[in-house]
Amino acid sequence: MIIRIEPQSDIPIYTQLSNQIIEGIARGNLVPGDSLPSVRAFAADLGVNMHTVSKSYHQLEKKGIIRIVPKSGAIIRSTDEVSIEGPYDERFIEACKPVIAEALVVGLTREQIEALVSRVIDDFKGKT
Amino acid sequence: MAFIVFFILILFMACMESAIPYLVKRSVIFGVSVPESHVRDKEFLRFKKTYSMIVAAVSAIALIFFFFWYNQTNPGEEMMVLIGTSIQFGIIILSLALYFFYHGKTVQRKKTEKWGENVKQVKTADLSARVQDEMLPWSVFLLPMFITIGVLIYTIMKYPVLPEQIPTHWGINGKPDAFTAKNPVSAIQMPLILLVMQAMMMAMNLSQKRSGIKVSAVNLKGTRTRQLALRKYSSWFTFVMSVLLTMLFSFFQLSTIHENLAGDAVMFALPMVFMLIVLAGTIIFAVKVGTADNKPADVQAEGIGDYDEDDYWKGGLFYFNKSDPSIFVEKRFGVGWTLNFANPIGYMIILVPIIIILALSYL
Repeated sequence: MIIRIEPQSDIPIYTQLSNQIIEGIARGNLVPGDSLPSVRAFAADLGVNMHTVSKSYHQLEKKGIIRIVPKSGAIIRSTDEVSIEGPYDERFIEACKPVIAEALVVGLTREQIEALVSRVIDDFKGKT
Repeated sequence: MAFIVFFILILFMACMESAIPYLVKRSVIFGVSVPESHVRDKEFLRFKKTYSMIVAAVSAIALIFFFFWYNQTNPGEEMMVLIGTSIQFGIIILSLALYFFYHGKTVQRKKTEKWGENVKQVKTADLSARVQDEMLPWSVFLLPMFITIGVLIYTIMKYPVLPEQIPTHWGINGKPDAFTAKNPVSAIQMPLILLVMQAMMMAMNLSQKRSGIKVSAVNLKGTRTRQLALRKYSSWFTFVMSVLLTMLFSFFQLSTIHENLAGDAVMFALPMVFMLIVLAGTIIFAVKVGTADNKPADVQAEGIGDYDEDDYWKGGLFYFNKSDPSIFVEKRFGVGWTLNFANPIGYMIILVPIIIILALSYL
C-alpha cells in the first residue's frame, strides 16, 4: 500500500498518516491481521522524524484500530475488536458538523449531501 | 608489474568516472533533483555527454602519456607510483570540478524556470516494499568472522614457531617487505584488523537494512526497483568483499606461520586475482544498480511532485537531514550509499573501526 503525505499541508503529518492508514483499511488495501512497519522503518522510508510516526501509531491505537507491537511495528485489528472500544457516534457527529454546516450554508440540500456521502462510501468500497 | 597494477586502476577509474552521469538515479542531474518531465531535456543530455567526453579524453591522454613515459624513461618504482597516484588524483579532481560546474548550471536553470511552482509536494512510502527486500541478514556476515577467529587461534597455537620478524606489509611481488618484532600483539595483528573490517561490513549491512526505502510519488515503480536493486546488490557485494578479504588476509597470515606455504607464483598472483575480482564486481554492481531505473516513468498523477530534498544535499553530494532516521541513503552523484551526516551512528560505523585499526597498527 502506498502512503502519501504533504509536508506543506496545514494538517500535521501524523494526522495525515493516521488518516491514510484508516482510509487504507476502509478501502481494503489493509486488512485485519496485516502488519504495519516498525516506527523506525516507516520513518526512514518517508524521511520524517520517528516521533511523528510514533504519534500516528499511538493515535490509531487509542482509537482501537491498531495494536502496537513493540520493536516490530503494529497490527491492524479486526472490525469486531475495534467496535468494542466504545461509542463512535459522538466522534462522528463532531467531525461531520463543520463539513455539513458549510455544505448547508453553501446551498446543498439534504438529498445532495446524503448523495455525496454515499459517493464517498462507494469510492471506499470500490464501487465507482 | 607495479606499473600494470596502476595502469589497470587508472583505466578502471577513468571508465567509472566518465560513466557516472549515466548511472545515477533518473531524477537527479549533477546532484540536483529535476522533475521527470525535464529529465531528458536536450540541455541536460548535453551536460552529461560533455562531462563524460572531457573525463574520458583527459584520462585517455594521461594513460597514453603514462604508458609511453614509463616505457621510454624506465623510472624507478617510487617515481612511477608518484606519477601514477598523481594521475589518479588528477582524474578525481577533474571529475569533481566538472561536476560542480554542471551542478551550478543545473541549479541555475531550476531556479530560473521555477519548476517547483505549481506542484503539490508529497512524500511517499510503499508499505509493501520491505517484503520484497532481498538484503542478506546480518548474521551471514558472522561466517567469515568465524574463519578469522579460527586463524587467530591457530596463530596463537603456533606462536612458538613464528619467525622473530613478523611481516606487516607485502610488496607487489607478493613477498613481505616490511616487518615488526614478534610479540603477542604483533603476531595476531592481521587477523585482528581483519576482524574489525568484517565487523564494520556487518554493521554497514545492518544499518543499510534499517535505512529507508525511498520511493518517488511520480516514478513509484522505477524508484522502487532501483532501491531494491541497490539494497540487494550492495548487500551481496559487501559480503563477497568480506569473504575475499578473509581469504586474502588469512592466506598471508598462514604464509607467515608456514614460510613456504606457496610458491612465488601463487604469492604474486593472489593479490592480482583479488584486485581483478573486486574491480569486476564493482563494475557489475555499478551497471546492475545504475541501469535499474532506465525506463521512463509512467507518471501516475498530474500536479504532484516529490518533496524537493535539494536543501538536505549540501553541494548535491553530502546528505544532512536530522529528521531522517536513516543512517545511509542512496548517493546522488554515483552508485551506492552515502552517510546521513546528521546521524551520529554513521560516524561511529566509519570512524570507530579506523581508530581501532590505527591503534592496532601503531601500538
